[in-house]
Amino acid sequence: MSALMDLSRDLARAVERAARAIVAVKGRPDLASTGVHWRPGAIVTADHTLATEDDLAVVTPDGRTIPARLLGRDAVTDLAVLRADLDLPVADPGDAPGLQAGHVVLAVGHGPRVSWGVVSAVGGGARGHEGDLVRLDLTLYPGFSGGPLVDAEGRVVGINTSGLSRALRCAITAATVGRVVDEILARGRVSRGFLGVGLQPVRLPETARRVVPAAGEVGLMVVSVQPDGPAARAGLHLGDVLVALDGRPVQEPGDAQATIAARPVGATIVAGLLRGGAAAEVRITVGERPAGRP
Amino acid sequence: MAALPVASDLARLARRLGRSTVAVLGPAGPVGSGVVWDAGGLVVTNAHVVRRPARVRDPEGRLLTARLVGWDPERDLAALVVGAPLVPAVIGDAETLRPGDLVIALGHPGGGEGALAMGVLHAGGRPGGGRFIQADIRLAPGNSGGPLADARGRVIGVNAMIANGLALAIASGAVGAFVAGLRRAAPVGA
Repeated sequence: MSALMDLSRDLARAVERAARAIVAVKGRPDLASTGVHWRPGAIVTADHTLATEDDLAVVTPDGRTIPARLLGRDAVTDLAVLRADLDLPVADPGDAPGLQAGHVVLAVGHGPRVSWGVVSAVGGGARGHEGDLVRLDLTLYPGFSGGPLVDAEGRVVGINTSGLSRALRCAITAATVGRVVDEILARGRVSRGFLGVGLQPVRLPETARRVVPAAGEVGLMVVSVQPDGPAARAGLHLGDVLVALDGRPVQEPGDAQATIAARPVGATIVAGLLRGGAAAEVRITVGERPAGRP
Repeated sequence: MAALPVASDLARLARRLGRSTVAVLGPAGPVGSGVVWDAGGLVVTNAHVVRRPARVRDPEGRLLTARLVGWDPERDLAALVVGAPLVPAVIGDAETLRPGDLVIALGHPGGGEGALAMGVLHAGGRPGGGRFIQADIRLAPGNSGGPLADARGRVIGVNAMIANGLALAIASGAVGAFVAGLRRAAPVGA
């Protein structure tokens, strides 16, 4: 039985190691969520578990309640960063590129409480989520959101959340968490590229696709333009059909959103259009997505 | 191929644990499971699965009538004595386990044949005044009364209920106290 016993011991050790950097986060009236001490004094949790921005507190593994302050939050990745005066070790982030479907993982909630399972898939995102997500075959119990996804070696490979998808259990990769934490620590927010248009998929007739060779079977019709937004300033009109961004076909509003969100604010992106039956190109300077607009 | 030794260990553990696990029968088949607790043929199960007359099916598939020698609906424990030699389980103690340690359950979920499930110890805390072990493991009705074991195959609890997706097993210490109480009340034997 030695292999099974070794695995059991490894999993228990992994939990013990990860649990040292975990706190309970009191950010909503009913149920505390979980937070991970990511950088000295900076705690990451799941944004959707904060019902308030005031009177936040964290509870250490040995039961001390410590007041916490919100440094910044990002609804798109469902991450928030809190500041608290903690004397706990920081988490040991793992190498997410090495994470693969089939790897045994543990979800750890404050307590510690544990569930185990496997990675179902790595990569891809929920709607509007530009960061890579890890999909999980395991149970996220109440209060587990914001807690670490831990590999069998005890490394934190992601932050678990039930807030990004009603049906799927997901974790945000450690790399995305690190990037969001750095941005929030530096600027108090996460800036994202933004065009300021509403898009609706439309099937492109064969004749239209001959006109714009870069187009796929579906284009995205501009159904709203934010006044004075980046797209409006670049001269995009209602009724234009967006078929490509920087030469790559776009077929779903989510594709376009993810492409733009990943661009730095101020960068130029070339939009390939079908306009009045003819091909057109418009250069758009990527703006910054206003706060509170996911 | 590091996973293969784990798989063969698990298969071996399941066979060993299966020798000490019985099906507790209702009129139409298994309604629960039971653990052979000692060499005297004492079988422990949940009070809520026992029907009268009590009948069990042993690991060899023999149908046996059982004598109900203990029934405690408050602790949800019952003890049966069967008139046939059965292999007792090795009894362990969940106190030696930490959250994340593997746990294995055997039983008759859904009234079917003996089925294996694997999960982990959910937390060190014990609800019910210390009586229950919490496990992250997928159980179903029919696992009730069956063993929850550690990675060595030692029985650390008797599966009793599922609450909010978590399996709750009556800790082996509490089961042991129940069995000791029976022995004080009346000598139990074949």
